[in-house]
Amino acid sequence: MAASTLSIFPFLANDEFASACCAFLDRVRAARSSLVNWYSIRLQSAGPVLKISQSFRNDPDLSQHGVSAMATHPLGDYDSQLEVCEEDSEALVRTSDTYDSLQVDYDIVLSATYQVPVLYFVLRQAGKLLGMEDVYRYLVPSQYKKNIQSVGIMGGISFGYHPVSGTPAFFVHPCNTADAMKNIASGREVGPEAYLIIWLGLVGNCLRLQFPGELFATVGIPRLDGTD
Amino acid sequence: MDQPSLASIQRVIWEGNLPLEITLAPSESRTYDQTDPYLISYPRISYLPSLLPRLKAFFASSLIDPAASAPHDGWFSFENVPLKWHYPVGLLYDLYAGADPATKSSDAEYSSSSNDSLPWKLVVHFSDWPNEELVRLDAQGVVMSDAFINSVKEADFVRNGTAKGIMSLSKDDSSGLWKAVQEVDLPSFQRIMNILLPPPSQPFRNLPIRLFLPLPPKPDSTDSDSPSLKVVQSPIPPTITIPLSQTATNMSQSTILSSSRVVSAGTGSPQPQPQPQTIGSALHSILPNLFPSRRTPVLAKPVLHGAALPMSASVEEVVRCSAYGDGWVYIVIRMMG
Repeated sequence: MAASTLSIFPFLANDEFASACCAFLDRVRAARSSLVNWYSIRLQSAGPVLKISQSFRNDPDLSQHGVSAMATHPLGDYDSQLEVCEEDSEALVRTSDTYDSLQVDYDIVLSATYQVPVLYFVLRQAGKLLGMEDVYRYLVPSQYKKNIQSVGIMGGISFGYHPVSGTPAFFVHPCNTADAMKNIASGREVGPEAYLIIWLGLVGNCLRLQFPGELFATVGIPRLDGTD
Repeated sequence: MDQPSLASIQRVIWEGNLPLEITLAPSESRTYDQTDPYLISYPRISYLPSLLPRLKAFFASSLIDPAASAPHDGWFSFENVPLKWHYPVGLLYDLYAGADPATKSSDAEYSSSSNDSLPWKLVVHFSDWPNEELVRLDAQGVVMSDAFINSVKEADFVRNGTAKGIMSLSKDDSSGLWKAVQEVDLPSFQRIMNILLPPPSQPFRNLPIRLFLPLPPKPDSTDSDSPSLKVVQSPIPPTITIPLSQTATNMSQSTILSSSRVVSAGTGSPQPQPQPQTIGSALHSILPNLFPSRRTPVLAKPVLHGAALPMSASVEEVVRCSAYGDGWVYIVIRMMG
C-alpha cells in the first residue's frame, strides 16, 4: 500500500489544486485536436478556477435516448470547435448562439471550507440562464438522476453563489466528496492531477462533463477495479 | 479590569439595530419618486427578504401593477448595486454604506457627524429580478432557509472538520435555528448553538472567518463577470506557534494580547509556546500585504458589526460571541486614509 502523495488526502490543498489544474490543462493542450472536442478550457488565476465551456445542440430526443447515444458516441453531438488557452482575458467567444443550442459553463473551484474541488456550472440557451428542471433534463444522464436527486454520494445539486465571481450558479454539494475520494483512491499513489481526474470522473459524468479515456492513457490513474 | 463577558457581548450584538429607509423603485411606482418611504429599525443580524411581506403590503397601493408580483419577487439595491440577500443586513451595511466604524475613541461623536449614512437608504424592486446577480427566492422561503442551513453546515465543518454536528441536529432544531435567527430569539438560538459548538475546553479545528475586501472598479472593464468584492477564506487554526526567534519579542508584547492564558508557565522551555490566534495574527497570515503588522492596523482595519475589531482579540472568542446567526464571523476590510 503506497502512501498518498497528497498532504491532506482525502482533501486537497490549495497549491495541490493549482498544480493539478495546470497539469490537466497541459494534458488537454497536448492532446488537442485528436482527442478533445470540448468547446474551451482555460485556467483563471484568480481562484484559481478551471473553466470549461461546451455547447451542444438541444436534441429533443436527448431526454429519452440521450444516454445510450452518449454512451456510444459520447461527443457526437458536440461542437467540434476547440479552443485551448490559458489566462485568456477575453470573454469566451460563443460561436453558436442559436436558439436550439445549449451552452454549459463549468467552473471547478477548490472549496475553502471543504477543501475538495467543487463543480459550479450554469446552463444557457440563447444567452438566457436555465433553471433546475432544465439542468436535470439536459445535463444529468438518467442513470445518475436517482442518485443525484436523493443526495447520495454526489450530495445533490443546489443553486447558490459562485465563491469567486459571486454570481448565481448551480453546484454539486461537496460534503460527501472527501469520503468518496477516500473510498476510491485510498491506499494508492494519488498525485494532484490524478486526484482531479478521479474527481472529474466521479462528478463530471453526472453532468455531461465527460472526457475521452484516451486522454488519460498515460496518467497512471489507478484502475478502479484494482487491477493496476 | 472590567471586561465584559462573552455572553454580554453577544447580547449587545443581537440587540444591534440599523435604521433603514426603504423606497420603492421609481419605475414601479404610480407616483414615480414621490412614494413615501418605509422606515424601520431592523436587527443587524437579520436578512432583508424577511421584510418583503411587510414591504409588499406597504407599497401595494403605490405599485403600478400590484397584482403582477408576489412578496418573494422583491429584491433590494443600494446605489444601483443589487444586494445579496443571503448576507445579514449588518454585513451589507458595513460593506457598502461607507460608514466609519465605531471605535472606543469615537464614542462621543458617534451619534452626530459621522453618521451621514443613516438611515441606510435602500430601494426595493418587485420586478426585473437581476438573474445574473441574485439567486431567486421562492414563496415558501425554502431557498432562503436552505442557503442559511448550508452556511451553518460550512461553519460547522470548519469548526470540527466534519459536518456530523449539523447532520446530527434534529429536524426541529435545524429549522429552529433559522427561526431563532429570523425572530432574533437569542435564548432559542443559544440552546441549539450549544449543541453545535464544542465546549470552551475543547478547541475548534479551524475558525469560521471570512474576509470581505471591496475591490476598486476596473476602469477598462465592461465585463459584468468582474466582481465588486472579494471574499477570502483560508483555514485559521485557533492557536499558532510563533517560531522561537520571535518568541522573545512577543513576550514583551504579551500585554497587548487580551487573554491571560497567552504565555503561561514554562517560558524557559525550548518548545515554542502555542498562542491563541488573534484577529491581528489571522489577518497577517491571510493578507500580509494589507496587514504587515499583527498588532496595529497600518493600511486597513477590520470591521465587524459596525465596529473596528481590536487586533488583539482572540479569534476563537470573537467566533463564540460575535458570529452571525450562521456561525460565521464576516469581517469587512476597510482601507484607511
